Amino acid sequence: MASDNSSNMIDPAIFEYLKAHGEEEIEVGDKLYQISAVLNRSISTCQGLLSRIHSTPSSKLAPLLKQVEETGIQPEIEGVGELAQFASKYPYYKYNHKWSRSTQNVVGTILLTAWLGGMGTESRPGELGRLLTIEDIGEILKVPVNLKDRDAFHVTIEEYLLALTDITEELSRLAMNSVTMGDVALTVRISSFIKDLFAGFQLLNLKNDIVRKRVDAVKYHVKKVEDVIYDLSLRNLLPTAE
Amino acid sequence: MSEVVVPKTKDSPTRTGVKRDYQGKEKKAMAAQPAADHPRNAYTSMFESFRDELDEHHDRRMRIGKVSRDVTSISKKIVRKLSQPIPERIQTEIDNRLKEIAELLSTIQADVQGMNRQRYPLICLEEFVEAVSFAHYLRHQTLMTPAEAQAALPADIQLTGSDYVFGIFDLTGEMMRFGTAVTALSGSMPTGDGSQKGDGENGENDEKRTILADMQDVSSMLQTTPVLGKPNIYAKKLDIMIEQVRKVERIGYGVTVRGNERPKGWMPDLNEGYGGGGDDITMAD
Repeated sequence: MASDNSSNMIDPAIFEYLKAHGEEEIEVGDKLYQISAVLNRSISTCQGLLSRIHSTPSSKLAPLLKQVEETGIQPEIEGVGELAQFASKYPYYKYNHKWSRSTQNVVGTILLTAWLGGMGTESRPGELGRLLTIEDIGEILKVPVNLKDRDAFHVTIEEYLLALTDITEELSRLAMNSVTMGDVALTVRISSFIKDLFAGFQLLNLKNDIVRKRVDAVKYHVKKVEDVIYDLSLRNLLPTAE
Repeated sequence: MSEVVVPKTKDSPTRTGVKRDYQGKEKKAMAAQPAADHPRNAYTSMFESFRDELDEHHDRRMRIGKVSRDVTSISKKIVRKLSQPIPERIQTEIDNRLKEIAELLSTIQADVQGMNRQRYPLICLEEFVEAVSFAHYLRHQTLMTPAEAQAALPADIQLTGSDYVFGIFDLTGEMMRFGTAVTALSGSMPTGDGSQKGDGENGENDEKRTILADMQDVSSMLQTTPVLGKPNIYAKKLDIMIEQVRKVERIGYGVTVRGNERPKGWMPDLNEGYGGGGDDITMAD
């Protein structure tokens, strides 16, 4: 009886439509959850390894970075690859909030490793103070960046910018620790890098969103490093070449 | 008492205010592009290209947001005008409003194609579905299908599953309002064949569906189908819809049991029994 009534008012096609669309969303959500869980584990491993930079003197940094690349970043790249392959089948912006934070973390770990001198290739050896561009990141992760002409997985500008704010935070911490470990030159290097990035962020016309919130925090990273530089200059501990 | 110096700015009448230093002298206009004054570093050009990309994105979002607000308000106006049967005067007004919507949506059509369709919130499509599906219900006493809703949309913009289903949630609110008003005026529930009480006694349609039965059908369908769109919004809208159905159920009970004791034009007290919350939720655009 109920079905007779509903066939009057509701076309069964509507029921089918809602069921099909809803089930797809649930299935895609579950699968993305699984993929992200694996990726997030790789990210945690990588971030854990990278946190040792704060207690590793510059002379022993190269082997650590090698380890980060092999056991940290390599699984991340594989995880992103799997995510990209699955996610590209569905509308990008419908689901990207589920993995945007993970992408940002992956980009952050790669940027930091590369800045410290890792991520070298045959054509471009790693060197201290090298900032990878968003295009470099796309090549490493083997995914498109800032995609506009088609609907597929990619790294967005926002994710790259947010990753930059992650590494300014990490480097501001390293600026202090490298003084403790006796490498004042690295602190000076970090100081000028963070200031350059900060100047860059000033060029952006930010709206009231997450990027603005995170970029606003960069000035505290700058301040933290400036305080360290101030302490050093007060005691004539800065390298005279500067 | 010091004399008041009235600034004279004859040379620049267009400027509304003049910046002055502590001596009251006019300050030289700041450089129009402060960016040009910044010393450039290795990353300046990279950030400049990001700035252009982000500006484009924010401009697009603003355009879409503005049109979405306008289309929302027009859709709400259509809903308010709808009554049964739809007189010609109202129909022309609705047609004009739909034309307005078509014009507005055509300005952002290019902005919401392909990938960008899901990138920016376009709440107005839910309101649009609410308006056209309510009109459809008043005409045909059936629920508009997604394909019909897409066909009614006067622009080449894809209607997503969540646009449709959230529009239908809002539709039940309108059905409740309509059902309540008609019940109060006529003393009985509006029935499915759409004719006025008293002149449609055909006899062939023994069990006439009331608007209450229709609402119950929609409600049970949306409770059995899986969640579509943002789960928290879906849950909220589902709760509101269930409450709306219960309100109409109480009215149906009221007119069945005590209908004859009440004069025509009596308004049922919606708050009798356990009261419900609001019937509509608004979301930030």
